[in-house]
Amino acid sequence: MPETVAPGAREAVQPPRARGAVRFSVRAARGGSALATFRHAGSLRAVFPRVRPGGAVEAVLVNTAGGVTGGDRFSVEAAAEAGAALTLSTQACERAYRAPPGPPGRLSVRLSAAAGARLAWLPQETILYDGAALERRLEIDLAPGARFLMCEPLIFGRAAMGERLTSGEFRDHVTITRAGGPIYRDGVHLSGDIAATLARPGIARGAGAMAALVLVADTAEAALPQVRAHLPETGGASLLAPDVLALRLLAPDGEGLRRALLPILDLLTDDSLPRAWRL
Amino acid sequence: MPTATDARLTLAQWLSPAYPTGGFAWSHGLETEVAGGRVADAESFEAWLADVLEHGLGRTDAVLLAEAHRAAPEELPALDAEARAFAPSAERLAETAEQGAAFARTTAAVWGLDLPPLTHPVAVGRAAALMGLPLPDTLALYLHAVTASLSSAAQRLVPLGQTEAQAAVAHLAPLCARLADEAESRGRDELSSAAWAADIAAMRHETLQPRLFRS
Repeated sequence: MPETVAPGAREAVQPPRARGAVRFSVRAARGGSALATFRHAGSLRAVFPRVRPGGAVEAVLVNTAGGVTGGDRFSVEAAAEAGAALTLSTQACERAYRAPPGPPGRLSVRLSAAAGARLAWLPQETILYDGAALERRLEIDLAPGARFLMCEPLIFGRAAMGERLTSGEFRDHVTITRAGGPIYRDGVHLSGDIAATLARPGIARGAGAMAALVLVADTAEAALPQVRAHLPETGGASLLAPDVLALRLLAPDGEGLRRALLPILDLLTDDSLPRAWRL
Repeated sequence: MPTATDARLTLAQWLSPAYPTGGFAWSHGLETEVAGGRVADAESFEAWLADVLEHGLGRTDAVLLAEAHRAAPEELPALDAEARAFAPSAERLAETAEQGAAFARTTAAVWGLDLPPLTHPVAVGRAAALMGLPLPDTLALYLHAVTASLSSAAQRLVPLGQTEAQAAVAHLAPLCARLADEAESRGRDELSSAAWAADIAAMRHETLQPRLFRS
């Protein structure tokens, strides 16, 4: 950047940042579920691959900006109406690139499920590059009797390149509410030498990837022993309530994380995991 | 408003191991780490506890305590619900809920306070506010009590000698003081934890056999 740029003008000479928003809802239809409303704007799209008859509507989010960097804003809002079934995933891993000074990239996801609805949030891995600045907010609102499954895999640096996160800022904020009250809450704030933090014994013992999974379903208690049977020693699962199962998993890298997650996701999705997870 | 000395004596009583909150029954997942050989001596224990304080329970409980100290009475139920929702596992939820309920029961009875069963940090923060006890001292002593309680668990589990356990508490006291300072400016929205390995150990404690502790 030329030294002649006046202080304060830096923001103005940055290229325009990506903006993207997707908003839709799904209703119960004869023999399954169907898209009820749909809008999108900017660099975020959703495609709806054909699924088996009677299955959930599958929404695959596509970030046409190719990733997230500082100043980007993406938002997803989706609702599963009463009795409808909706599964959201992403077409590719989300790459959080090294960000210029200034505000972080922001990703906001707000999902809701009405009574008797089935909702799943199953994005592919988010990869934090060295120097990334990303702030995510995931808000889920469930009606009593709605079923919900989420899995958020996170990879710290591009392992194939031997990348270590020696700088950067990552904030994550997750809230699941039911009938207005919180039933699951998570928050993460990592900054600075993230690799050094991850090396610590109480944090990640040097793991390069982490996933959080939550199942809200009346089958959660019955599923716990089966879920545990699939977990390596670097993962744990527990019931926060009889119908709320939480899982946390660490793995050396993204590949190891996915290998450990796949059987668990197959189990919890009745083998209807979005195809993107298979590639 | 109590004098500074009165306030310190009340906090010393509430946050002493003799106060009947049943703190001796909980290891916060440490028992799993000892059984797995990952915590095996004073050095590995101090490193684990420093992480739990700085990136896990210490950090989150300090924020919750500070928020409870500031909260209006009608805001407490939502704050306490958030504290419960933030617990990463069944045993960790029981750990904070049962110690908090026991703290509230005794404190309400002795000081005549209106203190319902709340999670541990929320109960202590609320009681301190009701008694006019200053937030900085309450935070520092609460974190110090967590440190002492887990060091006492380590004494039984690792095992550590009495001197080693007390050295760990002394080494971590400055961290408690720093976390207490930082928590005063953090709000509920900034609740965060990265003590994932410690959380996983707490989850795996549920199926650990044999076990002495309830978490």
